[in-house]
Amino acid sequence: MTPAGISQSDLKLALKAFGDAIGADNVFASEADQLSYSDHFSPDESRHMPSAAVAPATAEEVRAIVRLANKYKIPLWPISRGKNFGYGGAAPVLKGSVVLDLTRMKKIEVDVESGTVLVEPGVGFFDLYDYLRANDIPLWLSVPGNAWGSVAGNALDRGVGYTPYGDHASRICGLEVVLPDGDIVRTGMGAMAGAPTWQLYKPGFGPSWDTMFCQSNFGIVTKLGMWLMHEPESVLGYDFEFDKIDDLGWAIDTLMPLRRDGIIQQSPSFGNWLRSAAVMTTRSQWTDDPGPLKESVISAIRKKFNIGWWSVQVRLYGPLDVTEATLKVLNNAFNGKPVMAMKPARWVKGDAPEGSPFSGVPITFPLANANWYGGRGGHTGYSPVLPTRGDLAMDQFRRTYALYQKYGFDYHASFAMGERSLTNVNQLLFDRDDADMMQRLDKFFRELVVDAKAKGYGEYRTHIEYMDVVAETYDFNDHALRRLNERVKDALDPNGVIAPGKSGIWPANRRGERS
Amino acid sequence: MKGRWIVERAMLGIASSALVFAGGAAMAQNKTAPAGTAVTDAFSGAMQDRSARSPDAALFVEKCAMCHRQLGMGTIILARRMDPAVAMLEKREDLTIDFVTQAARTGIGNMPRIQRGEVSDAQMKKIAHYLAKGNK
Repeated sequence: MTPAGISQSDLKLALKAFGDAIGADNVFASEADQLSYSDHFSPDESRHMPSAAVAPATAEEVRAIVRLANKYKIPLWPISRGKNFGYGGAAPVLKGSVVLDLTRMKKIEVDVESGTVLVEPGVGFFDLYDYLRANDIPLWLSVPGNAWGSVAGNALDRGVGYTPYGDHASRICGLEVVLPDGDIVRTGMGAMAGAPTWQLYKPGFGPSWDTMFCQSNFGIVTKLGMWLMHEPESVLGYDFEFDKIDDLGWAIDTLMPLRRDGIIQQSPSFGNWLRSAAVMTTRSQWTDDPGPLKESVISAIRKKFNIGWWSVQVRLYGPLDVTEATLKVLNNAFNGKPVMAMKPARWVKGDAPEGSPFSGVPITFPLANANWYGGRGGHTGYSPVLPTRGDLAMDQFRRTYALYQKYGFDYHASFAMGERSLTNVNQLLFDRDDADMMQRLDKFFRELVVDAKAKGYGEYRTHIEYMDVVAETYDFNDHALRRLNERVKDALDPNGVIAPGKSGIWPANRRGERS
Repeated sequence: MKGRWIVERAMLGIASSALVFAGGAAMAQNKTAPAGTAVTDAFSGAMQDRSARSPDAALFVEKCAMCHRQLGMGTIILARRMDPAVAMLEKREDLTIDFVTQAARTGIGNMPRIQRGEVSDAQMKKIAHYLAKGNK
């Protein structure tokens, strides 16, 4: 297998040259290797199968590979750890690309006093967590729901976590990037050799480029600076349960001003009952009926886990004097409103470790939900961004819920509150060995995108299969943003060697591949 | 409803009801606040043991424990298929070098294939040796 337009002999020459540059034992080109770097949630892994993978260990080795890729016109697909399974894992958009696996790049540099870290792409959340604990560093991570992935990769893909530092891309401060021609650049203050402020001041002098390398294919990030939170004196809050479907609307409107004004600094995320059930149990434990879950089953799930139709966890961070005062504000906001339950949460320095993702503890068990339907399960995300308004959230819920019913999927969603926006993250769970289900899933996803677009809502992130589908919805002035992206792409990457098709951005020599 | 709630027993000492957020789920643990109020810490106890007693065990912790120690995705799903007491791979007495290597390289059930960029052949050998405990 080769990328379209590349001969088998050229690919072979390129792989040989890659091996000469970084060691032949870091070039993986067997059939087993091709499979291992494919999308293992896909019903047809051949659709996005790479022809090989190469694993450099340093930025200099990355530069060498990139120069050779230009020489042989080989498209590379950079991954940090390749664990973003719901969005395609390690697999490239363009079949036959060579995966540039940066897993072996694992350097960590922490500035404890400033609360910053400089990580290479192979550093996972568990790696960084272990490093902080081993060195007794009082800094907390912000971890995503499934924390086996890369700290840098997650931030560059705009992943989110649960602490006040949960908007990971916004905490990036300074990058080192290998450009598509093999040049290497440091952004922000890192543009000055030896500057001690690289991880401290984001803009630098003149234009700032950090966000240009998020969800893009304009370069390969080999180092990423990020701010970390100093351990606070306390974490207080509530786990709220809401009994009725319609409670979602007023509950969002209640929290929204507190979130907008920074009273609540993390992102509360409303989720429905399936979030518990899909992790803790499998569907067959509840029902043998393949149709949409009946009200009686939903009631049984809620009873078993003692949860509402919706749940949300709110946490406040800081000195105890501050969090206790803020907790009163939160209490007042819900005073007199029909909350089903408010379970207090309280951690104060000196207590046993808080021990949860709210204090940056990495976890992987949430992805046990991939086993909900049994078989070899999987999931993908559908995540449109809405204004933070309860009525619009309810409308979104009703339309989306109806589509889940239409296509025969169990509703699994959350509404995560940003400072000015609401991201409706839907986990579409499936059994990839159920061919009928996988066909329905594809139609379901495409209709969801169309449904959101009709309201002017776009996805913030998507699976490799749907990058063109989502990019197509960003259509102001006949897709002016895509034209801009591709002008930049062509200027930086005339041979189209870095991640063709990422986020719907295709280089000139492969624009015909757009789906 | 049918089936046993064996997964709960796999949660290894972490109690009672489940809480969930943002695509994830949590176990809850009740404890008493200074004021005497019942307090629930969502996820409390989600922190797994990351210690190791040998270089090979340390490699297992670095590469595998996130899923195959306490509260790992692999541990939870394996607890549905076998005695939860041995759902963590390090508790198993029946693993062989060949089985561990093949499961990791080709994937098994919900487990993805582990690529050679992440775990080299030499590292895989050490991890398999560690888990096989002398079994051939």
